[in-house]
Amino acid sequence: MSGKPAASAPVRMFFREAIARAAREAMQADPRVIIIGQDVGAFGGSYKEFAGLYDAFGPARVRDTPIAENAMIGLAVGAAAAGLRPLVSITYMDFLMLGLDPLVNYGVKARFKTGGQLSVPLIVKTTAGAKGQGVAHSQCIEAWMMSVPGLQVFAPSTPADAYLMLKAAFLAEGPVLFVDHKRLFPVAGDVPPSDAVADVGRAAILRAGDDLTLVAHSYMCRVALAAADRLGQSGIRAEVIDLRCLSPLDIATVETSVARTGRLITIEEGQKICGVGAEIIAQLSCLPLSFHCERIAALPAPISSNPVLEAAALPDPDRVVAAARALMTKPLHKEYP
Amino acid sequence: MDEIDLLRQMMTIRAFEAALMARPDHGFQLLSTGEEAVAVGLCAALGPDDQLLTSGRSIGPALARGLDSGAVMGELLGKLNGTNQGRGGRGHMASPGQGFFGAHAVVGGNLSIAAGVALAGKMHAAGQVTACLFGDGACGAGVFHETLNLAALWALPLLLVCNNNQLAISTPVQEGVAVAHLTDLARPFGIAHDSVDGMDVLAVRAAARRAVDFVREEGKPFFLECRSERLAPHSSATRETRSPAAMEALWSRCPIARIEQSLRASGAYGSGELDRIAGDVADEIDAAMAAADAAPFPAPEDVLHHVW
Repeated sequence: MSGKPAASAPVRMFFREAIARAAREAMQADPRVIIIGQDVGAFGGSYKEFAGLYDAFGPARVRDTPIAENAMIGLAVGAAAAGLRPLVSITYMDFLMLGLDPLVNYGVKARFKTGGQLSVPLIVKTTAGAKGQGVAHSQCIEAWMMSVPGLQVFAPSTPADAYLMLKAAFLAEGPVLFVDHKRLFPVAGDVPPSDAVADVGRAAILRAGDDLTLVAHSYMCRVALAAADRLGQSGIRAEVIDLRCLSPLDIATVETSVARTGRLITIEEGQKICGVGAEIIAQLSCLPLSFHCERIAALPAPISSNPVLEAAALPDPDRVVAAARALMTKPLHKEYP
Repeated sequence: MDEIDLLRQMMTIRAFEAALMARPDHGFQLLSTGEEAVAVGLCAALGPDDQLLTSGRSIGPALARGLDSGAVMGELLGKLNGTNQGRGGRGHMASPGQGFFGAHAVVGGNLSIAAGVALAGKMHAAGQVTACLFGDGACGAGVFHETLNLAALWALPLLLVCNNNQLAISTPVQEGVAVAHLTDLARPFGIAHDSVDGMDVLAVRAAARRAVDFVREEGKPFFLECRSERLAPHSSATRETRSPAAMEALWSRCPIARIEQSLRASGAYGSGELDRIAGDVADEIDAAMAAADAAPFPAPEDVLHHVW
């Protein structure tokens, strides 16, 4: 609690600015924090999400790397295990595949495999999502990472959460995969003061409703909210839940909502098979809960740079609204089973 | 450390591995037999505040770095007295507090990790050298080249030690790496390098001392190749691909016999000395085995500890 008057009020800023602010504050607070990645230095990051850090902290702490994701992540893992607190930036989530060995086989397992001697306080920040850049620069593979025990997966949808969750990630004991989204960087929102803390492990209810539950994360929260607006115009009250943290997953908040609404639509930009929605529905299905559900995800095809094909593959409010209307026609069975 | 200590350490590694493999419950192991001089010569050159990372062929390096042989045996057998409470096994044995940052069983996977340890040392522990042992098999991996590039660009205090035992399981180094000499791999990055007979512990120690001094004083990476012979199969579960005649010829290069004969010829010790060392080593191995046997296995519920 600094008590500084200047920090006491929310500030409106872009999502990318919220990331830079969290990183700047972490670097000010802890000399062990360093930023590693392609074009993170004077260039300020591909989306200006590290703007100003190089000037403030210099080349020893804001380090441009060659294009070498495997070694970048491995080096960051080793540095974290040896006492630093690195954030390594992987420009596009598609390229995370190149660095999964050091992250999954060393970083995430270090504490387990050494019996607690080593821990790896590392952030891998990466940008997911489609925005015209084609089959190898668009993917959302965060669901793959949910099945790695020990890897926390953060996927904020608002500037406030980008700030609060990145701040929390800098304090985490183990590796955090921080997933942002190309279409979120230009989004503006109120960001709380620097003394704010958030329970980043809890899902957030972005909009309350009793008729059905829409569950999303990252940019798809905006799709869910747009769909909820349209449904509201025809009298259907949709509750919108932002998962925020995909692993560990806050299933309790989803369960509470679905217990009330009896209808669930999961929305994600990644794939349906073994996706976030698949996991949520599987977990809820094992509970004494009766509900109708639908999964909305990218179509089972690569994400093309062709604007027609890209749009055809991606979930949009139309698909959510259509699925919601179909679910609303199904009678609820309030008694279990 | 005098030369008799080098011999004693090498004999300890050999006897340790022999005792381990005599047990029916030895598990999946990669032995250092034939490669003891690389580990012992390198560790003789490292300071107490330096760090060592190794590949999954970790037993020799762990013992050479001074880890308690009972804790190493316990780790290999999955016991709670192990360095990692029996959780890591041979592929991930670690004791960072003793300068043994540890093993990593993904071939080449320890290289970039070591670069990160070296970066942390450069930023917050002036004068620390991070050494990374890996095999010739790692030299074909992309991350090897990525790491050399980064280490050169960032002037990392990283000593890259290639234990070139000339075989990646069954693939000869000539068929796995296109360069004529592995030190050629360091040249394009401007990384200083040396190559030494890895069967000669005195030569390894001398070369490693020069390399460690270079890294510490210049603050730059160094690539040291140690040409060794694998005198055992790749692993306890791998069939030997070389002929008995070829193996017999290789055994004539045994690094332990070499230093022992050299010391004897120089009059460094008398005729009873070798037996006395062998007796001390046997006692240590017996004690290590007893400590591991006396220690419990983890409880099944321990599987969920240290995950999140």
